[in-house]
Amino acid sequence: MTTTNRKALLISPELCIGCRGCQTACKAWNQLPGTKTVNRGTVENPPDLTPQLYNRIRYVEMPSETSVRWLFVNQRCMHCGDAGCMKICPAPGALYRTKEGAVAFDKDKCIGCKLCVEGCPFDVPRYDEKGKIAKCHLCFDRIAYGLLPACAKTCPTGAIRYGERDALVEMAKKAGYQKVYGEMDLEGLGAIYAFRDAPKIYGYAEKPGIPESVVFWHKVLKPLSYIGLGGVVAASLIHYVAFGPKKDEEVKKDE
Amino acid sequence: MSNNAMVRKASSFEIVNHWALAVSFFVLAVSGYAFLFHLEGVGSVFGGFNQMRAVHNWAGVVFAVSLFLTIFHYLPVSLHFTSDDAAWFGKAGGYFSKRAAVPPQDELNAGQKLYYLVVLAAGVVISASGIVIWLRPWAKSGILLSHLLHNISFDLMVIAIPAHIYLATLANPGTFRIMVYGTVPLSWAKKRHAKWVQRMGF
Repeated sequence: MTTTNRKALLISPELCIGCRGCQTACKAWNQLPGTKTVNRGTVENPPDLTPQLYNRIRYVEMPSETSVRWLFVNQRCMHCGDAGCMKICPAPGALYRTKEGAVAFDKDKCIGCKLCVEGCPFDVPRYDEKGKIAKCHLCFDRIAYGLLPACAKTCPTGAIRYGERDALVEMAKKAGYQKVYGEMDLEGLGAIYAFRDAPKIYGYAEKPGIPESVVFWHKVLKPLSYIGLGGVVAASLIHYVAFGPKKDEEVKKDE
Repeated sequence: MSNNAMVRKASSFEIVNHWALAVSFFVLAVSGYAFLFHLEGVGSVFGGFNQMRAVHNWAGVVFAVSLFLTIFHYLPVSLHFTSDDAAWFGKAGGYFSKRAAVPPQDELNAGQKLYYLVVLAAGVVISASGIVIWLRPWAKSGILLSHLLHNISFDLMVIAIPAHIYLATLANPGTFRIMVYGTVPLSWAKKRHAKWVQRMGF
């Protein structure tokens, strides 16, 4: 990531009241249909991200000594600085980095291989009925024109803030959060979280990372594919010059 | 039989099947590199990456089927490893000396046997893992493992197959005609596949 003017979302679960305005504002802007929900005995709904749901509030019920503690966490694409989905994607332009640092997508260029689903450290990408990627794109078509992402625009409490990434990190630290989740991980996340407690309580890994096999593939197997091919072609040429082809006459001489 | 007489080394079926393997491999490798390194120029030759994905998948089916069909011809002889084969490897097939005599070889020489086993193994792995990536038969599990195995076998193939092409063309004049006519001069066969000539009674 070399974006100097990187934008981000600062998500503060402590400020969230669980109204889910972000979910509906996102659907409105992106023209995503509503889905019929089911009573599962919790206010949380839908239970997971879907191709029609780019962000949602995860409701965490934490039993405490006296009552129950509610945690409301906005779940979405983290717009990683080092994005596993972009790394593994075989189709140029299907996933791309905007100048604000968002990881956006182009369904026309997506070939529907679904490898991004596997490369993501946060289990975010979904695919629609045509097999094409669907996920939060940080409202790339709003922020490019200086507008707030729909979720941040609609959030009534400031639980989702959009702005300069550096300024948001500073703001969270000033508010007393010593560690901002995603400040450094994966070359810095584009959605950073002000967690009061350990990340895993909110449903996030302490040290998120791109799957090791994908890193190995990127660092070793990919270069090996052209170094190997080039090496064999070069070795063949050198062999041809140094030893030449097998000639039947020479074989005869040896007999 | 006179030494100038031609003897049949490959049947018409083997020739056609080998061309199916060669062409499908070429298409697969070129599109594979385009996927790996986002080669947009290559993508446009295929009419875009969406179409290239379809071509890659179906070329993979052609490759897998032709590879399967080679088993009947090449696997038994390739698995038959003799002391002459060990000695052949000891002399590196005579490829690094202008005067080395190599032990008499069967229908396939020791290097060809090893090559066939490597390509068969890599081919089975790359085909199976390709099908998993393509059709995702078990929802999420196994895709990353398949992706890893697909790429390991890809690397093996883009190293082994160009070496095979060199050895079957420039390095050994007279070999490539097998892929065109299926026949070789008896004198040539006696030099390179003495045990096979003897076994066949040419």
